[in-house]
Amino acid sequence: MAQAETDGATARRPLSPHLTVYRPMMTMAMSMAHRISGVALYLGAALIALYLLALAFGPAWFSAFSWIGSGLFGHLILPAFVWALFHHLLGGIRHALWDRGLFMDPKGRELLATGTLVGGLALTVATFVLSSLAG
Amino acid sequence: MAPKNTFISGRTGRGAAYVSDASGASHDRFMRLTARALLPLGLATAWLLARLTGDSFEEARAELERPFPAVVLIAFIAIGAAHARLGAESIILDYVHDEALKQKALVVNTWVTRAIALAWAFAILLIAAPR
Repeated sequence: MAQAETDGATARRPLSPHLTVYRPMMTMAMSMAHRISGVALYLGAALIALYLLALAFGPAWFSAFSWIGSGLFGHLILPAFVWALFHHLLGGIRHALWDRGLFMDPKGRELLATGTLVGGLALTVATFVLSSLAG
Repeated sequence: MAPKNTFISGRTGRGAAYVSDASGASHDRFMRLTARALLPLGLATAWLLARLTGDSFEEARAELERPFPAVVLIAFIAIGAAHARLGAESIILDYVHDEALKQKALVVNTWVTRAIALAWAFAILLIAAPR
């Protein structure tokens, strides 16, 4: 991805491997998803900070910003944030395992990448089901 | 961090090229250290946010006025914002090539992450502080 920042004529060099000629695979997809979920958490945290401020300032403020936590948007934003959180968290665990040299073989790394995706979704569903059961 | 020392390349001649400024190891250590702290804090925060979903004003206040959720959420954003700042910094260095814009983006990123953490923590303190 990194291209040398050179000035002038020598900069016109082909970039390889590039996304368009690269066979999509799970590890690549989950690497991208890790970064995207990180950005989502960044933006989501800004929204939740707004929601918390409105909650702190009183009912009038809260009614202006309650769409972040309830209603149609609230039921999209918060579950999406929790999913991004679980996905990013499992991505971190995946990297911690790879740091230790575990699951580096072709089967193992694909298994781990798939586990990030499935695990993130499963944990999100489990969290919301359990929290609604807990009342 | 962007490399600061200039380097005379054999291929491209004089000019700034990618040269290590030896900040990689400390970046890596910081991200992994904060990630370790964010594992339990992130799990607890996910649970608390799931409980907040759809709450009315009174329900949400009652939820966050208790000490445990308040402390967890403040710790999460304090460490999470530092982690997010460095993460976003890597993204800026990867995709923003214009030198002036890059420096601006790095400063904006620093202050936005600080503002998020301060607003979040201040709000929780207002809600949960005993009076």
